[in-house]
Amino acid sequence: MALALPLYVSEVWLRVFEYAMVGAVAAIGLTLLSGHCGQLSLGTPFFMLVGGTAYAALAADAEAGSDLVGIGLPPVIAIVGAVVVSSLAGLAFAPVAGRVSGIYLAVATLSLVFLGLYLGQRFTEFTGGAATGRPAPPFTIFGFSLTTREPELTVLGVPFGAQERMWYLFLILVIGGIFLALGAVRSRPGRSWRAVRDNPASAAAMGVNVARARATAFAVSAGYAGLAGVMMVLWFGLLKADENEFQGSWSIAAAISLLAIVIIGGLGSVWGAVLGAAFVFGLPLALRLLVPSVPLLASITEGSGGFTPSVITAFAYGSLIVLVVIFEPGGLAAIGRRITARFGR
Amino acid sequence: MKITRSLVAAVTVGTLTLASCGGTKSESENTGVTDDTIKLGVLTDLSGPFLELSEAILAGNEIWVEQVNASGGVCGRDVELVVRDHGYDADAGVVAYQELESQVLGFMHVLGSPINAALDQNYLDNETTTVALSWSSFILKNPYIIVPGTTFDVEMINGLSYLMEQGQIKPGDTIGHIYLEGEYGENGLLGAEYFAAQHDLTIEKVKVLPTDSDLRNAVTGLKGSNVAAIAMTTTPAQTLNVAVVNQQLGLDVPIVGNNPAFGPNILTPETADALRNVYVVASATPYTSDVPKAQEVADLFEARGDGVPHAGVPYGYAIGEIWGQLLEGTCDDLTREGVKKAKDEADSLDTEDLVAELDFSSPGSPATRAVYVAVPNIDTPGGLDQQGELFVSEDAETYRAPEQQD
Repeated sequence: MALALPLYVSEVWLRVFEYAMVGAVAAIGLTLLSGHCGQLSLGTPFFMLVGGTAYAALAADAEAGSDLVGIGLPPVIAIVGAVVVSSLAGLAFAPVAGRVSGIYLAVATLSLVFLGLYLGQRFTEFTGGAATGRPAPPFTIFGFSLTTREPELTVLGVPFGAQERMWYLFLILVIGGIFLALGAVRSRPGRSWRAVRDNPASAAAMGVNVARARATAFAVSAGYAGLAGVMMVLWFGLLKADENEFQGSWSIAAAISLLAIVIIGGLGSVWGAVLGAAFVFGLPLALRLLVPSVPLLASITEGSGGFTPSVITAFAYGSLIVLVVIFEPGGLAAIGRRITARFGR
Repeated sequence: MKITRSLVAAVTVGTLTLASCGGTKSESENTGVTDDTIKLGVLTDLSGPFLELSEAILAGNEIWVEQVNASGGVCGRDVELVVRDHGYDADAGVVAYQELESQVLGFMHVLGSPINAALDQNYLDNETTTVALSWSSFILKNPYIIVPGTTFDVEMINGLSYLMEQGQIKPGDTIGHIYLEGEYGENGLLGAEYFAAQHDLTIEKVKVLPTDSDLRNAVTGLKGSNVAAIAMTTTPAQTLNVAVVNQQLGLDVPIVGNNPAFGPNILTPETADALRNVYVVASATPYTSDVPKAQEVADLFEARGDGVPHAGVPYGYAIGEIWGQLLEGTCDDLTREGVKKAKDEADSLDTEDLVAELDFSSPGSPATRAVYVAVPNIDTPGGLDQQGELFVSEDAETYRAPEQQD
C-alpha cells in the first residue's frame, strides 16, 4: 500500500505524510532514550539542527563568491556523515547526561535548544543564517534526484515529481530506522538501557557499565535526531536557522512536540512513536487541508473567532495527552497491544 | 503464513488494478483561471503573532475584491481569493502553498519572512508570481517576488534623512540603532549604515532578540554615548519600551522606526506621551490619511463594521490594486508566464498614492523609494498622524540595494 501511495495521493498529502515521517524518525530516537534508558531529553531539535547542517555542508558544492561551506561529498555519504556528526555531538553531551537525570536532565538538555539558536545564527557560513537560510543539496543517487524533479520521470501515467520521489526515500529511511530500533530494543543494548532505567545500582551490580549505557543511548538518540534533521532539510528544500527559540524547526516548540509524540505513542514503543508522529506532526497539517472542505469544521473556523485549524489541533493533541496520561499511560502502543491480544485469541 | 501471502497477493493485485486506471494527477496550462473567475491565493497568519496586521491586510484585499467584482471584475472575470492560515509556521506555510499552488494563478500575498524564505525555490519552480510581505531588499533576488512598496533599508535612509531635514540630527552626530537579529534587523541596519557613511555619522549598534523585552540597559548605554537620535528596527513592544525609557532617563531624543516597529496596540493613554517622539516610516499611507483614496478605503472598511482600524487596511487594498493592474495588462494571456511578463513590464504602477508609484521593471531594486512619515497620536483612528506628502530623500534615490542589478 505504502509503496503505491504516490500513484493516487496528491503531492500535498504526500508532503503531510513525509512531514510525519520526519517526526517519526526523531521520536524513535527519543523513545529509545526516554522510554528505555529513562533519560528525559528536550534536546532533540538541537541534534536535528546539527544533522541537517552537517548534511548541507557535506553535500553542497563549494561555490565561488559564496561564504557557505560546501565539501561536495556524494549525498549518500553526506547523510551517513550527518548521522555520525550528530551522534558524536550526543556523545559529547553524555558526561552531562550521566550526572543528572529526570527533570534535571530535561532542563539541562533544554539549554541545547538555546545553544542551537545561538550557533545557528552565529555560524551563517554553515547554516545560512536566520534570514534566508541556504538551499538543501538535492539527494541524488547515480545522477537520479530523489528530492527534485530532475530528470523527469513518469510511472504508470503519473508524473513523478519531487514529492513522489521523496516519499520513497523517506519510507526507506523510516523503515530502516524502525528495524534498527526494534533490534536495539530486543538485544543486549536495549536490556542494559532498561536495567539502568529501572535501577542503576543493581544494573551496575549485574555488570552493566552505567555511564557507558547512558552515553550510548544518548549517541543513538542523537543519531536518529540527526537523520530526522537531514529529512527536515530535504523536506523544506532549505536549511534555515530559527529566528527565535519559540518557533521553528529546531525550537522549544519542536522539543515539546517530540515529547508529546513519545507520550501519546507510549513511552518506549517504537511503533507508538510512529503513530504518535502521525498525530502530532501530521494532524495539524492534515486539519489545515481538511478544514476548508469539511462543512462542520469550516463553520467553526468561519470568521475571526480565533478557532483556526492550528488552534483546533493544539486543543486536540493537548487533550489527547491528558487523556492518555489519565486513562492509558501506555499510550497508543498499549491500546494497540490490547487490540491485537483480543484478535489473537 | 498463508494469510500473509494471500494478503500480499491481494494488495499487489489491487494496487496494479488501481494503477492501471491511475494517472489522475495532472497539470494544466492556465491554473486558477476559468472563463468567469480568476483565483488568487493568500497565505497569511490568522492565528500567530501577526494576527492584527494580517487581518487588516486581508480586509483590505477583500474590500478591493468586492469593489472590483461589483464593477465587472478583471478581464471580464470575477476575482476570488483562496485564503489559508499558516500561523507563522514555515511547515504549515509550505503545505498550504502546495495545496493552493494547483488552484491559483498567483498569490495575492504571502505574509512572513520565514514562510517566504521557505517558499523561495517553489516560486521559481512553479513560476508563481507572489506579493511577498517581508519587506527586506535581500529577497528581491527572486524575479517572481513582488515587494509592494519600499524595503527596510530604504525606509531607514528616508527616516534619518527626514530627521536631518527637520534639523534634529546633524553631520558628526552619533545615532543609536537598536535592531533585531535576523533578516529584518540586518536590512534596516544596512540603510542606517549607508546614511551614516554619506553624512559622517557614527552608528552605535545594539543587536537584540525578539524576546528581549526590557531594553533599559541598551538605552542607558546609548545615553552614555550621547546619541542624537535612536533608530529602531524592532517589534512594537520594544519600540514602546525604548520610548518610555527615553523619556524616563531624560534623554528625550527623536526615535525613528521602521514600519513594523509600530503597532496601534502599543498606543494607550499612559504611553501616548512617551511615543510622541517616535517617527514611523512606511511606504503605505497610515489608516487616517489626507490621501483621498485612503479615506475612501477607510469608509468602506468602517461600513463592514468589523475589525480594528490599522494601516494594513489601505495597504491590503493597494496590493489588490497592484494585482488588478498586472492582470489587466495581460488579459489575452492569463497564464503564470503572462503575469510574470506583465510584472516585468510594469514600470509606473499607480495606486492613487496609497503607496508611491511602483516600478517592478528593474530587477533587484525596490519598487519605490518614497515613504510616508507618521507620528503616533492616540486620538487618530489607526494611531498614526501622517506628516506631509510622500517623502523621498536624495540618499534614498542614490542608494544601491544589495540585489540591484542595473
